[in-house]
Amino acid sequence: MADARTVGPAEDPGESRRRKRSAAISLVLVTGAGAAALGLGWLDPSQKEEDALVYDSLSACIGQGLRTEEACTTDYAAAQAAYSTTAPRYPTAEACRAHHGPDGCVAGETVAPDAAGSFVPLMAGYMIGRTLEQGLPAQPLYRHAEETQAAGGGSRGGGGYCTGSGGRVYAAAGRPATRVASSVARTPASAPRMVSQGGFGGTGRAIASAGSRSGGFGGG
Amino acid sequence: MRRVPIPERPDWRDHAARAGFAFHTFDDEPYWDESAYYAFTLAEVEDDIEAPTRELHALCLAFADRAVSDGAILASLAIPEHAWDAIADSFRRRDPSLYGRMDFCYGGAGTGPAKLLEYNADTPTALYESAVFQWLWLEDGLARGRLPAGADQFNALHERLIARLAAMGLPGTLAFTCYPDAPEDRGTVAYLQDCAVQAGLAAPFVPLDAVGLSEDGQFLDAGGRPLAALFKLYPWEWLLADAFGPAIGASPTRFVEPPWKAVLSNKGLLAHLWAMAPGHPNLLPTYFEDDPGKAALGTSFAKKPLVSREGANILLVRDGVLLERDAGPYGREGFVRQALAELPAFEGRHALVGSWIVGDEPSGLCLREGPRRITTDRARFVPHLIAG
Repeated sequence: MADARTVGPAEDPGESRRRKRSAAISLVLVTGAGAAALGLGWLDPSQKEEDALVYDSLSACIGQGLRTEEACTTDYAAAQAAYSTTAPRYPTAEACRAHHGPDGCVAGETVAPDAAGSFVPLMAGYMIGRTLEQGLPAQPLYRHAEETQAAGGGSRGGGGYCTGSGGRVYAAAGRPATRVASSVARTPASAPRMVSQGGFGGTGRAIASAGSRSGGFGGG
Repeated sequence: MRRVPIPERPDWRDHAARAGFAFHTFDDEPYWDESAYYAFTLAEVEDDIEAPTRELHALCLAFADRAVSDGAILASLAIPEHAWDAIADSFRRRDPSLYGRMDFCYGGAGTGPAKLLEYNADTPTALYESAVFQWLWLEDGLARGRLPAGADQFNALHERLIARLAAMGLPGTLAFTCYPDAPEDRGTVAYLQDCAVQAGLAAPFVPLDAVGLSEDGQFLDAGGRPLAALFKLYPWEWLLADAFGPAIGASPTRFVEPPWKAVLSNKGLLAHLWAMAPGHPNLLPTYFEDDPGKAALGTSFAKKPLVSREGANILLVRDGVLLERDAGPYGREGFVRQALAELPAFEGRHALVGSWIVGDEPSGLCLREGPRRITTDRARFVPHLIAG
C-alpha cells in the first residue's frame, strides 16, 4: 500500500461548535502523480507482485537457462493444454482483433472443437514462475492490443500480453524476467464464456457528438 | 452570503498538481477560480441550505417509494418500460445510494428561501474539487493568514464518502467505470476510487466500452471477471438506452448509483415534488410541459428537458421574452416548465449553490458562477467559507 498523504488542519478552531468540514484529507492514489486522473493506467498499489518469466517459445525458455530444461518443457506443455481449453472465445473476428491486435486471432475450430464458430487469440507465449518454489501455474499468454489513444495512451513500450483471465503482463523482447501482479500470476483462466462487449457508452457518444459543446459526457 | 475578491495564490497550480487536480482548466479557460470566494454565515449554511436539503431529500425518497412501482409516473419520466422492474427491485432491496447534489437558487439571508432548481442524483461531478481542493484551499489560506482566522467550510464530503462506501454493504470489490477519455469524469472517478480504497475496498477501473456481457447475463470486466458491484459515472437514461440496457434487470451486478436514482435525476421529479408538496418554500412551481396547469406560471418560466447535462437545452423566458437559452442535443424525452428563479448576481456573475448529499446526509457546498443565467459546463468553481 502506498503511503497515504494526510494533510491535517492548519489550526483547531478550538470553538465549542462543531466543525463543518472534514478533519483531515488523505489521498492514497490520486496524488500518485494524478496517475489515474491523467489516464496513465490503473495500477492497484495494494497488489502484491510475483517474479515471473515470459517466453514466446519453448526454445527461448530452454536457451535462457534460468529454469531447467525439464521445467521449461513441463510448463510449456501445461500452458499449451490450458490454451485449448481456456483461450477466450469471441463471437466475431473484429471483437477478437480489437483485444489482441490485427494478427492476433484465428478461427476457433483450429484450436479446439468446442470453439468452432468463434474466434480465439493465438498463443503468443507463456508465463512461468521465476522459481519452482513459487508454485505459479504455467499460463498461456495472448498479445494485448495497445489501448487506443483516447484511453490515455499509457504505453509501456510494447511487450504487452494478457492472460486468459484478462490480467496484463508486460515483458520486453529478449528480457523474459518481469514482475506481474500476484492476482494475475496466480489466477489461471477458467473455461471461457462467450462475451460481448461495447454495449455500454453508445448513447452518450451519440448525444455528445450531436451536441455543440466540447464536454458533453456523463457527469453534470 | 458575500462574494469576496482576493488575489489568487500565485502557486495554486503547483498545489493542484500535487493534489492530483488535473482538470482545473478547460480549453484555456479557468475552471477553478480562486480570485474570489463566497462567505456564508453559519446560519445561512445550516438553516437556509443544509436543513432544506435534508428535508427535500426525504421528500424525494417518499416520491421514489411511490414512483418505482407506478407505471404512470415512470412513463411521465420517459423511463423505458424494460427498466421498470430493475428500478422497483433496486428500491425494494434498498440498494444504497452513495451521493448526489441539489442545485439551489439562493442569494443569502434576507433574499428568500433557497429554491431547488434540480437534483443531480445520479452522476454529479465537481466532487473532487468540492471535497478536496476546496478544503485544501481553506487550510492553506488559514495557514498563510490570507483568510479570516477561524473560518470554517461546509465540507465533510471526504470523510463522509469514505464512511459511506465502507457502510454500503458492498462486496470486497467495487469496480468503477466512465468514459476514460473525459478528463473531468475520469478525475471524479479516480477520486472516488481513492475513497473506496480507503474504505477497504478494491477499486479497479473498467473503461465503459470494455464492460462485457456474458451469455448467461453477467456483466464482466475487461478480463472476463464478473462485476459484482459497479460504480458508473454515466447516467441511467443512457445506460438504459444502450445495447446492454435491457440486460441490467436480470444481471446480478449491484450498480452505484442504484437504478432507482433514475426517478430522482430527472427534471420530471420537480413537477412531481410540487404536486406532492404544493407551496413548499424550497420548491418552485413546476409542471410537465403537456400539463395545462403550466398556465399558472404565466409568461415567466424556465423550460427544461427531462434529462440533460450541464444546463443544455434549457430556455429561460421572462415576461414572455426569451431571456437566455442553451443549445444542446436534449429534449427528445419531453420537458418541464418551472417558475423562473433567476440566479442572484454578484458583481455580474450568476452564482449557483450546489448542496451535496452523501448517503442521506447533507455534507457540503460548492459554488459555480458564470456570466450567464444558465449554469453550464463553462461556469467556474469558486471556493466558499463560513465566517461568523
